[in-house]
Amino acid sequence: MPSNYPQVLFQNRKPDRITTLEEYRQSGGYRALADVCKHWSPKDVQQEIMNANLLGRGGAAFPTGMKLMAVAEDAPYPRYIVCNADEMEPGTFKDRVLIHADPHMIIEGLILAGFAARAEEGIIFIRPEYENAARILEREIKIAREAGYLGQNILGNGYSLEIVVHRSAGRYICGEVTAQMNALMGKRPNPKVPPPYPTEKGLWGRPTVFQNVDTLACIPHVINNGAEWFKGLARTATGGGTKIFCVSGKVNRPGCYELPLGVPLREIIEEHAGGLPPGSEFKACLPGGASTRFLSKEFYEIEMDFESLRKVGHRLGTGAVMVFDHKTCLVAATLNLIEFFARESCGWCTPCREGLPYIRDLLRRIEEGEGREEFIPMLERMSKHLWSAYCAFAPGAVSPVEGLLTYFEDEVQEHIVQRKCPLK
Amino acid sequence: MLDEELRGSLTRKIAGIEHPRELVVDVMFALQEHYGYLSDEAVREAAELLDMSPLEVDEIATFYTFVYREPVGKYVIHVCDSVICWMGGYESLRDHLCRKLGIRLGETTADGLFTLLPVCCIGYCDRAPAMLVNRQVYGCLTPAKIDEIVAKLKDSAHMSGE
Amino acid sequence: MPKLIIDDQEIEVASGTKVIQAAEQLGIMIPRFCYHPALGSVGACRVCAVKLLEGRLKGVQMSCMIDAQDGMVVSTTDEEAVDFRTHVIEWLMLNHPHDCPVCDEGGHCLLQDMTVSGGHGIRRYLGKKRTYQDQYLGPLIRHEMNRCIHCYRCSRFYQEFCGYRDLGALQSANRTYFGRFQDGILDSPFTGNLSDICPTGVYTDKPSRFRGRRWDYQRSPSLCIHCCLGCHTIATGRYREIVRQEARFSEAVNGHFICDRGRYGFFYANHEARPRRARVAGDEVSYDQALQALKAKLAEISKRSGPGAIACVSSDRSSLETQAVLKRIGRMRGWRNFSGFMPQGLAQKVQLAVARLEPALSVSLRELEGADFIVVVGADPINEAPMLALALRQARRKGAAIAVIDPRPIALPFDFQHVAMVPGAISLGLGLLARGSPDEAAIEKLGPPVSDFYAALPTPEVMNASDQKRLSPLIRDLRSSRRPVIVCGTAVGPATVVGLAADWALLLQAVGKKAGLFYLLPGANAFSAGILSDPEDTFEKTVEGIENGSIKALMLVENNPFWQFPDRARLEQALARLDLLVVLDYLNSAAAQQAHIFLPTATLYEIGGLFVNQEGRVQAAQRAHSGGIPIAQSGGGGHPPRIYGAGVPGAEPRPAWRTLAELVEEVVPPDEARMQSEVGVWLAEEDPRFADLPPFAELPEDGARLNHKRDGASRFLVNWTAELQKSRGFDDSFELLAVDWTFGTEELAVYSACLKALERKPGLLMHPDDAGRLGLTDGDEVAMQLDRGTLKVPVGVVANMAPGVIVLPRHRLLEWQRLACGRIRLERDRIRKAASPQGPKP
Ligand SMILES: Cc1cc2nc3c(=O)[nH]c(=O)nc-3n(C[C@H](O)[C@H](O)[C@H](O)COP(=O)(O)O)c2cc1C
Ligand code: SF4
Ligand code: FES
Repeated sequence: MPSNYPQVLFQNRKPDRITTLEEYRQSGGYRALADVCKHWSPKDVQQEIMNANLLGRGGAAFPTGMKLMAVAEDAPYPRYIVCNADEMEPGTFKDRVLIHADPHMIIEGLILAGFAARAEEGIIFIRPEYENAARILEREIKIAREAGYLGQNILGNGYSLEIVVHRSAGRYICGEVTAQMNALMGKRPNPKVPPPYPTEKGLWGRPTVFQNVDTLACIPHVINNGAEWFKGLARTATGGGTKIFCVSGKVNRPGCYELPLGVPLREIIEEHAGGLPPGSEFKACLPGGASTRFLSKEFYEIEMDFESLRKVGHRLGTGAVMVFDHKTCLVAATLNLIEFFARESCGWCTPCREGLPYIRDLLRRIEEGEGREEFIPMLERMSKHLWSAYCAFAPGAVSPVEGLLTYFEDEVQEHIVQRKCPLK
Repeated sequence: MLDEELRGSLTRKIAGIEHPRELVVDVMFALQEHYGYLSDEAVREAAELLDMSPLEVDEIATFYTFVYREPVGKYVIHVCDSVICWMGGYESLRDHLCRKLGIRLGETTADGLFTLLPVCCIGYCDRAPAMLVNRQVYGCLTPAKIDEIVAKLKDSAHMSGE
Repeated sequence: MPKLIIDDQEIEVASGTKVIQAAEQLGIMIPRFCYHPALGSVGACRVCAVKLLEGRLKGVQMSCMIDAQDGMVVSTTDEEAVDFRTHVIEWLMLNHPHDCPVCDEGGHCLLQDMTVSGGHGIRRYLGKKRTYQDQYLGPLIRHEMNRCIHCYRCSRFYQEFCGYRDLGALQSANRTYFGRFQDGILDSPFTGNLSDICPTGVYTDKPSRFRGRRWDYQRSPSLCIHCCLGCHTIATGRYREIVRQEARFSEAVNGHFICDRGRYGFFYANHEARPRRARVAGDEVSYDQALQALKAKLAEISKRSGPGAIACVSSDRSSLETQAVLKRIGRMRGWRNFSGFMPQGLAQKVQLAVARLEPALSVSLRELEGADFIVVVGADPINEAPMLALALRQARRKGAAIAVIDPRPIALPFDFQHVAMVPGAISLGLGLLARGSPDEAAIEKLGPPVSDFYAALPTPEVMNASDQKRLSPLIRDLRSSRRPVIVCGTAVGPATVVGLAADWALLLQAVGKKAGLFYLLPGANAFSAGILSDPEDTFEKTVEGIENGSIKALMLVENNPFWQFPDRARLEQALARLDLLVVLDYLNSAAAQQAHIFLPTATLYEIGGLFVNQEGRVQAAQRAHSGGIPIAQSGGGGHPPRIYGAGVPGAEPRPAWRTLAELVEEVVPPDEARMQSEVGVWLAEEDPRFADLPPFAELPEDGARLNHKRDGASRFLVNWTAELQKSRGFDDSFELLAVDWTFGTEELAVYSACLKALERKPGLLMHPDDAGRLGLTDGDEVAMQLDRGTLKVPVGVVANMAPGVIVLPRHRLLEWQRLACGRIRLERDRIRKAASPQGPKP
């Protein structure tokens, strides 16, 4: 294995089984909660998280501290804290790995975030494909409850929280928080643009905070070791903490790697994921799931953190690095991605519902050798217009197309000129 | 018809919660489990249990991937067709499965054992290509592995007297 | 009040105004599909994109989602915004079937307009189109899902606006489908609006399918006369026939929508059975012959028995002009005054309501939507005046608490408190609410008569504990309300309730609330009929007059007593005694068929007319076509239509007012325009409430409210001792209530074949306690024994109604007129299970 980076979220990770409550405790688990229950106010917790520069790991990279602070002190009860374990972004599987590695870390994070927002009810929203994870969580929640970390009057603090696991029935849009809100309320999971924000009027009109699994898992460590320590984990100044990169595609060791924010892309691929298989050359990767833009080889050395990618017009997204080699046709790969988005669109707004199938049709024609010169400007314009869709789904959906046209237009042109896929 | 035991347990669950609609997916899953799929009758029953109209239940049922509004086989195979699995050979695995089961995507085998459906990325890209059978995951698939899985499933179906 | 610039024009708008609305105020029509003023903004279709050039927000934004803000500079013509909109149209057209030539929406299709104006002319998309299967949605609306552009208007209108739960959005992504769980008739009585709000041809009007294009039609502003609300409609005529009716926007009355009874109720005007020729003694004669015969006969009777032997009866479906002319000529000739209300005691209630509706109390249907507490007494909104239910729902959506005190099983598309009491107890319930509503101390200060009225109000002890318990939460809501409104019906409650409703509203106003009063009356022109009728004269008395021989001639003007008079046998006998029965009508009613002299009249579609709705709003309908037998009938569909003659075939029917005027030489038959101004003068002479109206020709679109007089004398007069007596109901017998239903009981709409499928099966309804005592279960066939015969009907057992009453719809399929209903007692042993030939059910 390459360089020894501190393992925070994965400190207890085992190859074949979950970390038990006892093991988690031994590693310092629930110490943060005990501490908070004795000495901290909700405001203190919010402030510490704010100072730690913890950015949401669900894809949008919104400062977690800020979200917790958005719940007004005098807001009505009950309030809700939701753990977003929908994880349907293609290429992303870190939440699943985390739950299977150390469920109590997430539970403790959820309790702490709930404490900061004074939420009385916690909900873990989980995708149906993660049925095993859902069962693990249900079992461990019960164990945590028996140990006094959940339920009434937690550790004598007077704070109470119950957590339930809510199984989804599968649709990518359910990961988007406003859609998730509708899903949880038993409505059609269409998104709903704010205002009002969920932190003000969320589930059943009550303040609700949504956080990604990974984000929540960071919180106990922020509390235990302090904001400064957390910030120091990152290699770059913006954004604190380590980051779980899930690497997949054309690499020798696909999987999740906990690395400091800001490690170079090359290092992730070559050192941690074992490089590309023999005979494969790096051509491109999606740096943060299907709804980010392709990075070409010119970005091979880029520091993988939120800010550095943003500066060059990219997004770190979920940190799911999907690697494509020189033998993979990027038109076909993009077509596959658009197929996904077109199928998963919720159907609420026109650009996404109708525009994506249109783009899919154009890409398919190009891939099948029926492409025309004018398809390229059409794709460009439509992709641009999809940014004016109702929610963030559509801009994410066209990101790979934009990447394709920006860095691999030649490859697209070749399809059109040769009237076939040059890689077939 | 719903048996009294299931109806009773669902009714109790619904009664114990402030916002019954929250349970709509759970209730649909329970009825789907009972009937094999979410039949029209099941939609009506779910509606009655939750004090919704059948249309209101169906608005939600038809939105989701894992609610089956048409009959499905004993084993529902969801083959992941998203980008990583695609790169890992989804297409040939799909073809293999189709040949093996003698059905196309979206169909159910004549013996009612298998239904084959494509599915979006199931979050096992580290073990691509992957598929789900009744929500249990199988990763790093090869044709040989698929043959083995299918054979096992058939065996256990026979053992349970199907 | 933000000030902004849109396309170089500055405008100041109320805060909270969306950019799309601000632009509209400047006359700039930004494209829209999902946005609808009644449904609000949801930002789904994305076709209303504009570019924001200056201000906090910038770039391409949806104008329906953005509040107008100070300093905003908006461009609707910016290249990027236009290109985006063109793309949206192109996207929407990807799957559209382009079946405009066979689509009924063609010609008035928002999608067509936007496609053309959006500059999308050439199809670039090469892929296949998606297709859907359509559903059967009932007799009114045709479903063609392939045309759908997914604006979500239908499901939002259906579920959110109307509160019905059987049509919505199914599936997801570009498979999203709008429809029902399964094929079937839609539950809502507001479904016709779907064809109005759908921006393309997914929901089209079924009865008018393939009858013509928008540009083929004569479309004219009209009014609905199927209940007292006076909703605005657009009547659409073609080839001497009304083919379709749509909702017409009215700020004060119905907003954007109308109910299905109103929309589809017009078929009586085209009906094949409609009488178009005059008749004397059953023989068809020319109009003039009949008129001369009538004049002679009236003169003869007048001479022989005195003018008082002639009685004229109009109705609440006659226009104001007709009512006025009848009143006028009756006065001139000394004939008996008319009264148009059939059920016992109804005239008195209507007149009381008309007298008590003071300007300071009266609220319009739309104002009702702004109330924060509404109590409905003695009224069944969905069944009597459906659009009232929709207005109540809008109030409820904004948070109003709503309660209904009525004996009937009330169903409304929102949650409300139903207090089911026997009719006689309603005043008591209302009295108790009134007592609970203000602070007693505040009342003291007001002094008499308010304090006296208050002091006399009943105290809780007079009511049984369970009713008390149901009323107490209402009192709590009422106390905290600021704009309470009382909606008071005239159908089932006693007359006291009508006055009490006004008194209570006055009381609430006296204690500082912005209280309002809203009466429901029995018909389209009941308000003016109430003003113009002689308070002493009721139809009951007219019948008595015939029976005792003092009335020899009866002229029925657009009135069919057989429809509403609750004792058919008696009526038949009485009419048979007459020397002269004259009927002027456009319906071939039972009365018309018995008339010695019959003169056909024209409907409002052929002549227009003035109608006064239940809040005293005088409104005008305009002529939609000029009469005659519909070409589809006269020509059997062939071309050219083969009826030969000098004039328009079947165009003999004239306005009733004109025929009436021609009866009296002094009233020269004027032309229509003069007629209306003359009527205005007569009415002002007749009753001061008509005095301040503008000339009828200049009535504003939303009409003009009558200047109600303040009837101080009748305020605060309730005899509580008498009320207490009434409230007990009958111990040993039922009170039989004849009631209206949305479909099947209204005289004009029952001619519409398309509405028949929507009628509920008629039968009587009773409370489970009563049914239990009689050993009846839901669905049993019962026989009701009456003095004049037996009525066999199925019984419905429903829990949400008052015990002690039997509810019977005045359904066209029931001979309820045999029952002599009203507040009548029906001893319990007169009702029992009908012997079924198959023996008892298993
Ligand atoms: C289409 C779409 C899908 C999303 N799916 C997920 C998801 O599966 N899991 C997740 O945590 N966040 C998802 N997000 C992001 C969430 O909206 C939200 O930003 C996040 O859950 C907030 O948690 P965080 O601040 O901890 O990241 C999605 C967003 C969009 C627009
Ligand atoms: S962009 Fe529109 S259609 Fe797509 S998921 Fe968001 S709201 Fe739904
Ligand atoms: S009208 Fe604004 S998005 Fe549809």
